Amino acid sequence: MMPAHPTAGRKLTARLFLVVGALILAGPTVAQFADEDGITQTNDELWLTRIRYDSVGGPREAYYHYDGRWWERWETDFPQAEQNFAKRLNELTAVTVSPVPLRRRLTDPDLGDSPLIFMSDVGYMQLSRPEIDALRTYLANGGFLWVDDFWGDAEWASLERAMADVLPGKRWITLPIEHPIFHTVFDIEVMPQIPARDFARWGRGTTEPSFEHRRPTGNMRTPSIRAYTDDDGRLMVIATHNTDIADGWERESYGEWYFENFSTKSYRVGINVIVYALSH
Amino acid sequence: MWFEWLFKYPRQAYGQGELAFAGDFGVLWWAAAAVLLTLGVVFGRRVARFPMLRRASVYLLQIAAIAVLLTLIAEPVLEVTRLAPGANTVAVLVDSSQSMALPAGTNDETRIDVAKRLISDEIESASRGSEVALFHFGDALQQIGTVAEVQAEADRSRLLESLTDLATHYDQGALAAVIVVTDGAHNGGSVGWETLAETGIPVHSIGVGPADIPGDVELAELVLPSRASPHTQVAAHLVIRHSSRDANGRVRLRVLDGESVLAAESIALDPSSPTIATDILFPVGSAGLREVAVALEATPGDPLPGNNVQSALLDVDRERYRVLYFEGEPRWEFKFIRRATAEDNDIELVTWLRTTERKTYRQGTSDPDELADGFPRSLEALYRYDMVILGSLPATSLNDEQHDWLARFVAERGGGLLALAGRHALDNGGWDVKPVAQALPVSIARPGESLSYQRGNFEVIPTDEGLRSVLTDIGGAGAREVAWKLPMLADHQILGTPKPGATVILEAIERVERRGADTVVRGGRAKPLLVTQPYGYGRTAVLATASTWRWRMRTPPEDTRHSLFWRHLIRHFAGSALPRRSLSLAADGDALDVRVALKNPRFEPLTDTAVTVQVTAPDGESFDVALPRIAGESAFGETLPVATPGIYRVEMAGIAGPAPMAEGGRPDALAALARVGETNLEQFGATLNEPLLRRVAETTGGAYWRPDDLSGLADALAFSSAGIHERQQLPLWNAPFLFLLLVLLKCTEWSLRRYWGGI
Repeated sequence: MMPAHPTAGRKLTARLFLVVGALILAGPTVAQFADEDGITQTNDELWLTRIRYDSVGGPREAYYHYDGRWWERWETDFPQAEQNFAKRLNELTAVTVSPVPLRRRLTDPDLGDSPLIFMSDVGYMQLSRPEIDALRTYLANGGFLWVDDFWGDAEWASLERAMADVLPGKRWITLPIEHPIFHTVFDIEVMPQIPARDFARWGRGTTEPSFEHRRPTGNMRTPSIRAYTDDDGRLMVIATHNTDIADGWERESYGEWYFENFSTKSYRVGINVIVYALSH
Repeated sequence: MWFEWLFKYPRQAYGQGELAFAGDFGVLWWAAAAVLLTLGVVFGRRVARFPMLRRASVYLLQIAAIAVLLTLIAEPVLEVTRLAPGANTVAVLVDSSQSMALPAGTNDETRIDVAKRLISDEIESASRGSEVALFHFGDALQQIGTVAEVQAEADRSRLLESLTDLATHYDQGALAAVIVVTDGAHNGGSVGWETLAETGIPVHSIGVGPADIPGDVELAELVLPSRASPHTQVAAHLVIRHSSRDANGRVRLRVLDGESVLAAESIALDPSSPTIATDILFPVGSAGLREVAVALEATPGDPLPGNNVQSALLDVDRERYRVLYFEGEPRWEFKFIRRATAEDNDIELVTWLRTTERKTYRQGTSDPDELADGFPRSLEALYRYDMVILGSLPATSLNDEQHDWLARFVAERGGGLLALAGRHALDNGGWDVKPVAQALPVSIARPGESLSYQRGNFEVIPTDEGLRSVLTDIGGAGAREVAWKLPMLADHQILGTPKPGATVILEAIERVERRGADTVVRGGRAKPLLVTQPYGYGRTAVLATASTWRWRMRTPPEDTRHSLFWRHLIRHFAGSALPRRSLSLAADGDALDVRVALKNPRFEPLTDTAVTVQVTAPDGESFDVALPRIAGESAFGETLPVATPGIYRVEMAGIAGPAPMAEGGRPDALAALARVGETNLEQFGATLNEPLLRRVAETTGGAYWRPDDLSGLADALAFSSAGIHERQQLPLWNAPFLFLLLVLLKCTEWSLRRYWGGI
């Protein structure tokens, strides 16, 4: 049963608004990803699967307006980021990736067909009890969760709370740069901080502005990969914190400067994570 | 009988004798020949008016008749060598093992009663002219004065050794033949058939006893691996013989460790299959030495309940399997195979993965150089593994020499080879034209250019043979069919026809899966999915999918079926790999047969060395034995007589010279256990073993005889090829076949003349 939340009324209104907005503005994007029931079989090994979740709060919390439409948090960078990333994976690696990304809820019965799932912008995420149970089962079976694009202390605390229900008693660890995930394909010497393209300006640093994120943000200058491991030391969940790896994929064509300074680094991290997930 | 009436002498006489003429080819013979020839010429002139064919036919018949007459005049004889009267011995061996106390199957006599009667009534008289030496054999050969002394009490029957002992120790010069009266239930050691033939003494075997024993159910064979890893399942291979006539007959089978029942099963006794071969799986538990007994529950009226139980020793200890997995693309199957094997401490998985066109990723390597250049650079390096898994990678990833090594890895090193499906696997990767295609259990060559690898939803179904295989033992309560209700696979690669000798373990049926609704059958035709076969010393398999990971991801976390499937698969195929140092031990009556085989890193036999083993007796006393090289073999061995019954342990104590070092792969078998004595062998194989007795007779130049027809035995003995002989000329002029031939020739001539109207 869903716990009552103080922002529930605002949320309902926001959703209604969002549905109308989506019908008007977001129509052209519907055909760009595979729907729950409309998957066409391809000869590809890997499907990039975006997890659809609920967030708490109203405008600028559970959803936000950008680029002419309202977005839910879960769909940040979706599906363009996955489409670009799939293209690059097919070009640069031996992995065969479907060019069509999937979107799934954690409770979908075929979630197990995607041993790697991706969540973005989780600063306001709220998981229901069935979702918590489903994610726990998924991870215990060997599934791999990658959480990206959340910044500062409050958004970290939000994820930490949600995951504490999924895997009680587990402790997050910060992966040192010597960890194999930084070296499976590319040797990454420094964890890159990738800002969303709109916040990337030459000479302004790479940290996104704090007013764009849940407060208190604390220090957002240090990107890292934090992880949950299972009892045998294998990574189950990784969280790329204080960085927006997927935006580097999504905005690769938004200017040469951004591509060279951020997209290439995003792809290096992404490729390493994918190959790590497929081999460990 | 008709032969001897027609030709006057028995077959044996013609078999060893030579035809000759005793008469003098003098004036009389030549005169007779001249007169007969003249008559022929005169006849020819008189009938010159008749057609050529008729003249020639009659002429030839007359010439033939003349030739027979001239032959008779020349006094034909058969020159034979017969046993010299009074100078030879015929050895009569009677089986005194306990099985001879069983009913003979005729009247109420026991087999030993029949043997005694035959010896007294027929065999001694058939050996006329020769001295009869009586022996009985059980544990050993022993001479006796009269057949009445023989008691069927020996606890084993050393038939073959007794025959060779007799030939070795008896005065062969005077030994004309051996007659052995037995049920053929030999349970001694093995004797080379060539050794038996080299004795040169014909053995005449007389089989007593029935071909089957009504109501008997026998556990004829129990085969267990000598070693197993702790907390694993082991398959006991059983052969059950029965004479059940009941179509619904069943027998209950239990596997026991002392009083504990490890497994139980009910076996149907099909009257049309008197021999049943089956496997039964049982858990071995923790480490230690086990004496595992397999027992058939006695049925009412079972005449030989003693043959319902057999036991074997099982050394439960750590095994280690080193497996090379060579994969051409990152994919989920790779991850989940690694994950499944990680749960098994006995499996060391070394993986090579191509991640990009020019980059690879190695895991599980023992040193920085291992697989640094991809596939092992030498035969020795490849032979450090027990099994190779080929993933989705083109055959061009290996050079021609490496392809050749891979085939040899299976055939000569005894390694396991598993080929997985994939976009670049099997025929899609060009493997169908490489040597390894010969080793695989199915044809992978497909006409046409379409890809054989396809995505979809495929249901997995074990075949009947598969359900009996250790490979389908994936746990779960209830029947195995239930355990195999698994999530559908996501891909399948079309295979060709399974080869003769291959076993299809699993099949796949394509189905359409609709979310939230029942599955819908699309084709329904089952296609091979997992096919295996032995190849050389090793084993090969093709698994035509790369999505068994769904069995992990689409089941609850506590479900272990995916893991068990892969662990069994790898243990089974890696388990065929030969160790470089092996020590085997077999109990043979009151002796231990020890054998040691050594190989170099290329698995070529090592023979220029010296081997010592340490033997530990049941009472704890130890002694060292130097093993000589076995003549004609690339192994070392010795048969050691032992006195105390119980469990003996033999360990490799020392190797001098270029000793092979263990480096990777399965651990060498450096110790073995065997139980000596305390057996109940005479209850097993108690029916008449006619094939063995026939082979003994044929190998030595003797004959097999039924107890109810020994009429030819006397002649067979008289013309025996062994012993002291004298030469004799047996006249043939009065043999009936010559007179019949003459009459036949003249009657034919007369009939032709009548038919042609005078000539």
